Amino acid sequence: MATRSRFPVDRGLTARMLTTVFLLGLLYAVFVTVLVLVHVQLGFILVLAFGILFVQYFFADKIALYSMGGKIVSREQEPHLHAVVDRLVAMANMPKPTVAVAQTDIPNAFATGRDQKHAVVCVTYGLLRRLDEPEVEAVLAHELSHVAHRDVAVMTIASFLGILAGLLTRMLMYAGLFGGFGGRGGRNNSAGGQLVLVEMGMLVVSAVIYAISFVLIRTLSRYRELAADRSGAILIGQPAILASALVKVSGEMSRIPTRDLRAAEHFNAFYFAPAIAPGASLSSLFATHPSLQKRLDQLARLDAEMHRGAA
Amino acid sequence: MGFLDALLGRTKPAEANLDKLFGLPGARISLEASEGLTPTLQAGVCFKPATGQAFAAAEQEITELLDLPADDQDFSTPGGTAAPGAASGSGAKLSEGADEYGYRWIVIGAPDFDTLVTRVHFVNSTLKDHGYGPTLLCSVFAFHPATPPAATATTYLVYLFKRGTFYPFVPTGRERRDNEGELRLKALLAEDLAIEPDLDRWFPLWNLPVH
Repeated sequence: MATRSRFPVDRGLTARMLTTVFLLGLLYAVFVTVLVLVHVQLGFILVLAFGILFVQYFFADKIALYSMGGKIVSREQEPHLHAVVDRLVAMANMPKPTVAVAQTDIPNAFATGRDQKHAVVCVTYGLLRRLDEPEVEAVLAHELSHVAHRDVAVMTIASFLGILAGLLTRMLMYAGLFGGFGGRGGRNNSAGGQLVLVEMGMLVVSAVIYAISFVLIRTLSRYRELAADRSGAILIGQPAILASALVKVSGEMSRIPTRDLRAAEHFNAFYFAPAIAPGASLSSLFATHPSLQKRLDQLARLDAEMHRGAA
Repeated sequence: MGFLDALLGRTKPAEANLDKLFGLPGARISLEASEGLTPTLQAGVCFKPATGQAFAAAEQEITELLDLPADDQDFSTPGGTAAPGAASGSGAKLSEGADEYGYRWIVIGAPDFDTLVTRVHFVNSTLKDHGYGPTLLCSVFAFHPATPPAATATTYLVYLFKRGTFYPFVPTGRERRDNEGELRLKALLAEDLAIEPDLDRWFPLWNLPVH
């Protein structure tokens, strides 16, 4: 009997993610074309944007650990956590990431690092306290899937356009506010008038590009969460356990005081469940994570497929 | 993993690599000659039970094919494991309960080492053929000193399916292992077996149901 895969492929999710990536790429092309057409001096902005990304990319693990107060734990300190990760990476055939624990009571977890060799998986004590062992394992499987999918690399590259457009918007605004559009160097009026138009146009274009790329990046982030849920559930073979962990974490999270939650908001894109303060109603378009219901629905579908033994 | 897979957030579940198991008989000779270790003729196959009826069917099939008696011993408790004497005969058992990490064990015994390796390969390839390759974690083979004092530690060779590599595991008591002895075995077995080069992956397996 030939080997067959028991694990169903979600073509819909793949297609949606591909569409988002394509739209981002298209936006990128349009933006660069506009910049080239109006002869904008890009050197400085490009260097700045690359600099930001370079730091984000190469120090992603250290930045995230530092800002979340995560401490790397040895096998002796957290033997059980290490044992769970050991087994998961052996099943998934990936190198073992650094394991860290954050001293916070918010139940959450994140994974970061530019590739599998520089990956860090961090869980909070709040998570270890509130979830039982199979659920912690499910959360770790979700985080390891982020590492396997190289989410830091993909999201960093995807956000390059957003950073570039955002920087340009801000610089043009300051130039307009403090320098006066086209008023520099005392040129004659007609050339100055043209410059004003070009700069105003650029400001509008880059602001619009920034807005669209923001929405697209958030969309991509939500799809990647769904993808990690899926791969994580497949890795442990039991979607229902990941679903119960999600319900527990999401239920707990909304009952926690807002101060701590706000402090964590920067890193939402890398989290297991987003830390959004109650009352801060973000429309689903801007959310980094899909709604709990969407994630549970997907896991329930996967569970049903596995019960049927999808070929 | 390919570029497109990374871009689209897909992981292909890692498949099991079973061919390297047949390097074991050679390793056994080296172990006996240099370290005085002989196989206890017991081995274990560890897998992560998945949800669903398809998996229950595969489990039943293995039980039937290997003529496994059901065994409801809980392997998570130290000492609550199959007696070494049960290793002889057709002796393959499926643990009913999961271990403390949620994995299940098929404990396999055989009258001689070559048969044992063949049986372990058979169990694994049955699981793999039914699409459960991604759920396989490892197989372990137990060795003990041929001459008394037999009270000294059992030595294990752990086979990592996904990597197709082995590593030695020598537990010496409560959550302690003999790293020096393991590294000595690594050097000894390097010619016979593909030894896992990444020491990070030599994870400990305490309270093994295999003796």
